[in-house]
Amino acid sequence: MDYRVQLAKRMLSNKKGSLIGAVLAVSIGILVIHVNFVIFQGLYDAIVRDLSSYRFGDVLVTDEESFITKSDTYLVGWFEKIPYVEAATPRMQSSASITVTKNGKLVEEFRVSVIGVDPMRDPRVSTAYQTVSDGQFVFSRNSIVIGSRVIDDLGGAMVGDSVKIKITDRRGEDQVRRFLITGITTSPGGQGLDSQVIMHIDALRDMLDRGGETGEILVKLNDPKKASDVKNYFLRTFPNDDFKAETIEESAEAALSGFRSGIAMINMIGYFGLMSSAFAVVTIQMMLVSSKTREVGVMRAIGAKRKDILIIFIVQGMMIGAIGAGIGTAMGLGYTFYAKETKMTFAGSIPLEVSYDWAKITQTAIMAFSLAVMASIYPSYKATKLQPVEAMRYV
Amino acid sequence: MSDIVLELKNVNKVFGHGDTRVQALNNVSFSVKKGEFLLIVGSSGSGKSTLLNMIGLLDRPSSGQVMIDGKNTTKLSDGKISEFRNSKLGFIFQFSNLMADLTILENVLLPRNIQRSDKNAYKEASDLLKAVGLESQINKRANEVSGGQAQRAAIARGLVNHPTIVLADEPTGNLDSVTAETIVQLMKSMAKKLNQTFIIVTHDRNQFGKVDRVITTKDGRAFEGEDAPPKMELTV
Repeated sequence: MDYRVQLAKRMLSNKKGSLIGAVLAVSIGILVIHVNFVIFQGLYDAIVRDLSSYRFGDVLVTDEESFITKSDTYLVGWFEKIPYVEAATPRMQSSASITVTKNGKLVEEFRVSVIGVDPMRDPRVSTAYQTVSDGQFVFSRNSIVIGSRVIDDLGGAMVGDSVKIKITDRRGEDQVRRFLITGITTSPGGQGLDSQVIMHIDALRDMLDRGGETGEILVKLNDPKKASDVKNYFLRTFPNDDFKAETIEESAEAALSGFRSGIAMINMIGYFGLMSSAFAVVTIQMMLVSSKTREVGVMRAIGAKRKDILIIFIVQGMMIGAIGAGIGTAMGLGYTFYAKETKMTFAGSIPLEVSYDWAKITQTAIMAFSLAVMASIYPSYKATKLQPVEAMRYV
Repeated sequence: MSDIVLELKNVNKVFGHGDTRVQALNNVSFSVKKGEFLLIVGSSGSGKSTLLNMIGLLDRPSSGQVMIDGKNTTKLSDGKISEFRNSKLGFIFQFSNLMADLTILENVLLPRNIQRSDKNAYKEASDLLKAVGLESQINKRANEVSGGQAQRAAIARGLVNHPTIVLADEPTGNLDSVTAETIVQLMKSMAKKLNQTFIIVTHDRNQFGKVDRVITTKDGRAFEGEDAPPKMELTV
């Protein structure tokens, strides 16, 4: 082993307090970034997951002007021939007035958003059906599933109660129909369809007088990274149909842009924390250099060059950085593992989408290591400035 | 080939400016031959440590030349001076100044490691430690041995690179009289055995008994002998 590395190692291991302090500074800096990532990136990914799963799919196809007039069966079939596509389903959206009566008495009437789903295809694309906490998902044209918030507004309607839905059709005429509440949805984090009413898509088409038309096609991919490819392929295939196709990032842009800025801000705070750790390393390294004045002087006296002294203290910085990055990454991975295994939730509601982002983990470790090394440059440089004659005087 | 290993020519050293100006060395010139066991004595503040720093290339003279092995060292770069110190000079300090983080053997090997000279280094360091009576202590940390043992290790470290000159600054100053006597005898025996030049700065002339030569410093001047007449400047 090179004597400079050996000396750096010994000097550092004989100053355990300084070593532990510096390593902890680096480790905690990394841990903060990992915790931030697990919580805030996990929350962001959870929102994307839920928006994708409940509302937009991985690719959302709409009509630029109004409703899709091409057959939904044809479009779904077309998508499902693409190897990247797991499934596709049509949906229809509208607004309605909802009236609930109990024992013949009017309980409440207000406006609500209505989603029409295909009960057979929708569960293959969306997990909205899994949010049914009471009763069951839409299964017939007269069954309706109501979000828990709507239920609250309705004064506590229950499965088995009936509601009247009033929708204005394409000709401006009100269409009223009675439905049986067959299920109530409650989604964690409120990203689901808790504020909506779900009914059979054909029932909604009938009420809107838009038979054969579709509001949107939700496409679920087996590899979400291929969303842009699928979208572009679709648009190239149907260039004259006024279709609009968006990936989840595009369709959920309004919901996510603010959140993304927030995450960027929190990440920046994390990296500032890491820089604070670097200042701690500078301070500790300065103390180490100061405590080794005599040794540096002796080494210079017996022939060590300035660059040898520089290397010794830079190697110390590398050791602090490597140990700190190792421990910090291990602690961060431990926290990530814990969050994943315990299905950690944000504020007790939305389950975080915890993932191991190895690129970011590596980047954070390398950054922490580099900062520790950079933080050692100035103390090391100061050490090289010590004059060998000091060795004769320093006791 | 000349026997002269060290030559100082009109060396001056001035510290400070104006009112605080101090002439620590005043036109010092002398030379030392190979194998000489030389003492530099003088009272506190007489300039003996400054003189040793000049000879040890730990400080540069304000004017004059320090020639070691016939080479003028005054114009050498910092890196070259480091190499020169490593290859031509051995140091023994008052407080031994071993590296507490290293073992006795590693301390002795340090000048060789700095030189990247692995050839026989381990064997030579072990032999030297045996010669100074520390063969059983080689794996102990420097802070685990007595002051006398540490100074023996320092002597071994000073010799391990086969230096032209070994410089010792008050090598017995921190030891009790019995241990100091042992260290003096050890240095003398090593000097004789290896035909090694020793230049020793001390304030305790008597401790060293008979030596080859003594130089006395006074008011920044160097004089031949132990009681140099005030106006007889050294011109050897």
